[in-house]
Amino acid sequence: MDGPLGVGQSQPQQQQQQQQQQQQQPEQPPPAKVVERLNPAVQQQLNLESVKTRAISLFKAISRILEDFDLIARTNSVPKWQDVLGQFSMVNLELYNIVEDIKKVSKAFVVHPKNVNAENAAILPVMISSKLLPEIEADDNSKREQLLYAMQNLSVPSQIEKLKARIDMIGAACESAEKVIADTRKTYFGTRQGPTNILTLDKAQAAKIQEQENLLRHAVNHGQGLRIPMDQRQITSALPAHLVDVLPVGDSVQTISESSGMYLKNTPPMSSNAVNNQGTLLQASGGQLVGRPAASPSGATGASSFDNTTTSPLPYANSPRSATNMMNTPSPQQQTQQQHQQQQHQQQRQRLMQLPQHQQQILAQQLRQSPMTGLGQNQLSQLHDLQGQAQQKYQLHGQNQMQFSQSLGAQQFQGRQLPSGAIQHGIAQSQLNQGNQLTRHLNQMSSTANSALFNAAQATPNNQMISNMTAMMPSQSLLPRMQFGLSGANRTLGSQNLNDQVFNMGAANPTTMLPIQQQQQQQQQQGGFGNMQQNTQNLQPGMVPMQQNPQQNHNNFQQHRQNQQ
Amino acid sequence: MECVVQGIIETQHVEALEILLLGLCGVHRVRLRVHELCLKSGPNLGSEASEVRLLCDLEQPEPTWTVRHVGGSMRGAGADQISVLVRTMVESKVSKNVLRLFYLLGYKLDHELLRVGFAFHFQRSAQITVTVSSVNKMLKLHATDEAVPVTPGIQLVEVTAPASAENYNEVAAAVSSFCEYLAPLLHLSKPGVSTGVVPTAAAAAASLMSYGGTTIM
Repeated sequence: MDGPLGVGQSQPQQQQQQQQQQQQQPEQPPPAKVVERLNPAVQQQLNLESVKTRAISLFKAISRILEDFDLIARTNSVPKWQDVLGQFSMVNLELYNIVEDIKKVSKAFVVHPKNVNAENAAILPVMISSKLLPEIEADDNSKREQLLYAMQNLSVPSQIEKLKARIDMIGAACESAEKVIADTRKTYFGTRQGPTNILTLDKAQAAKIQEQENLLRHAVNHGQGLRIPMDQRQITSALPAHLVDVLPVGDSVQTISESSGMYLKNTPPMSSNAVNNQGTLLQASGGQLVGRPAASPSGATGASSFDNTTTSPLPYANSPRSATNMMNTPSPQQQTQQQHQQQQHQQQRQRLMQLPQHQQQILAQQLRQSPMTGLGQNQLSQLHDLQGQAQQKYQLHGQNQMQFSQSLGAQQFQGRQLPSGAIQHGIAQSQLNQGNQLTRHLNQMSSTANSALFNAAQATPNNQMISNMTAMMPSQSLLPRMQFGLSGANRTLGSQNLNDQVFNMGAANPTTMLPIQQQQQQQQQQGGFGNMQQNTQNLQPGMVPMQQNPQQNHNNFQQHRQNQQ
Repeated sequence: MECVVQGIIETQHVEALEILLLGLCGVHRVRLRVHELCLKSGPNLGSEASEVRLLCDLEQPEPTWTVRHVGGSMRGAGADQISVLVRTMVESKVSKNVLRLFYLLGYKLDHELLRVGFAFHFQRSAQITVTVSSVNKMLKLHATDEAVPVTPGIQLVEVTAPASAENYNEVAAAVSSFCEYLAPLLHLSKPGVSTGVVPTAAAAAASLMSYGGTTIM
């Protein structure tokens, strides 16, 4: 470094960056060729050149940042705050370091203005004067007065002492404050990070949250914790609106595990169905299959003839028997138990089951519940009784109630033996939720007829498998109505079917109502026929005791039917 | 295909999140109430059980049904580098008979849940959907009116965007950059990776809420 001591330059304040202290090359002393050097001691303390270099680089950095900001402002883009903060911290730190270094040797230097021009001529004297500004001076004086007034009485040395003590205290306070600020600044800018978040959850809370989080994530992604055990999977409360007409009434939830169960359950009843195939309505053994009445070819479907007035709404809107109620008429009981699916299974089963008549119990089983056994017999007797009644919707609960219309009835009942299951004559399609029962009826019909019916019934998707009791009728009567649960539409059970005389296997006829199985198994059996569709005249009293076929089902059915209709 | 990330947020901060999303997405939220039924195929449909989800949107005046199949996710080194999960997904609107159809096919109900919350659908170099919902379970079958939350204090946030095999990289980038904006309130990660809550959530929520009820837009 050459040049006179303390050569420096201060920029006037117009520059916003006050930190720009540029130390310029000392000017050459104009005439003298004497080159003075900095006091070596000072030089040791502070390498002026390096300070200058640093200052210049700092100046450049800052101007670059300013340019960037300018650009951002002009293009209206969003600044990347992370980067901006980083740059700021860098610059700040650098400035701090420079200032620190210079402070050490500031005593050795004097800064005086070099560049005097029109702009700064006016303000320079003020800037370099050491006299306080008038207001500051006045302020100062008043404070001094205040301070010394308190100590006027004391001797001068004591005054001095007191003042010194006070100064020390203040000094100490200032120092600690500065220390804190410096430390924070260092950590803040030194690490170039934003304010560190000191919030931490305590362990217990964090663990709890973690546990809840796992629960939630597994529930959503894998369904853990949401599976209802099989035995509780029954629709016990009213279905929400969006499911009401979607789920077949009484559908038991088809759960994965249940399917196997279904089959098992069916077996017992099957036996009873033996009645010939007619539709052994499988009364699904209990289980969900209820209702699948396998196509109860037998008269149950006869339902076709039923007048469709069955009140109970068929579970399936499109099932042939649905909705028409079997109420009156002759039609065989349809049991509409929907559950197509189940019905199909049942049908299969039922096929197997075509057993002799006593099987009515099978119906009973349908839902494992049941006592149907007795029913069969009852049924028979009832059947006779029923004959009179024409339409009734049979509800196949267990045993179908046969309701045949007069005409049919007669024929149908002939056989009365209706095998246990078969009895339910075409209980009205509707509601037949009855679960298993239906299929039985089919059995009752004469074997051929039954088989035909049954087969037919099998083919049709449940719903209408009405356990045609009629089908069961042994021989003769094979009620024409076979209404198998064929294709949907509400069955026309009605007269045409009757005329047919043949079990229509098939499609045309309104579906036989097979005992529709309801989802709720329980319901199935219960109930007694009493509930059968409201409109239908319930089968005779005799019927009532029949196993409980779930009356409830009927109710449900009815409701549903209505909806569906 | 879709890109998906999930995160959790405490229920108390959901309102703040909604304000943040409103500002970020620029669209109004839509209410969400979806009954999701997860069906698994029975043994008659193959050795591997397949899963299908039926979503019934209960918020519409007429419930609308959608069927959704979620496939396997992308694996491998490339997938590990992407911060979102990319997986195959097929979705379609269906009629209301879909449930019956699947039952007839042999599918069985595995579990069901009800999501109640809100969603934002917007376009930001990809069609992104953010849903914030409370996941509820039904104690009784299909009893959607009596559903209770699985975790009362925590709600699920999901950010999804449909993608195709050609553009999944861009979509993934769009989703992850969007997620960065949500960083003060929650962390989002691939489904299956747990994140915990964010310590700054409370402070961020407080500051969001303090901006008052100024409606953005």
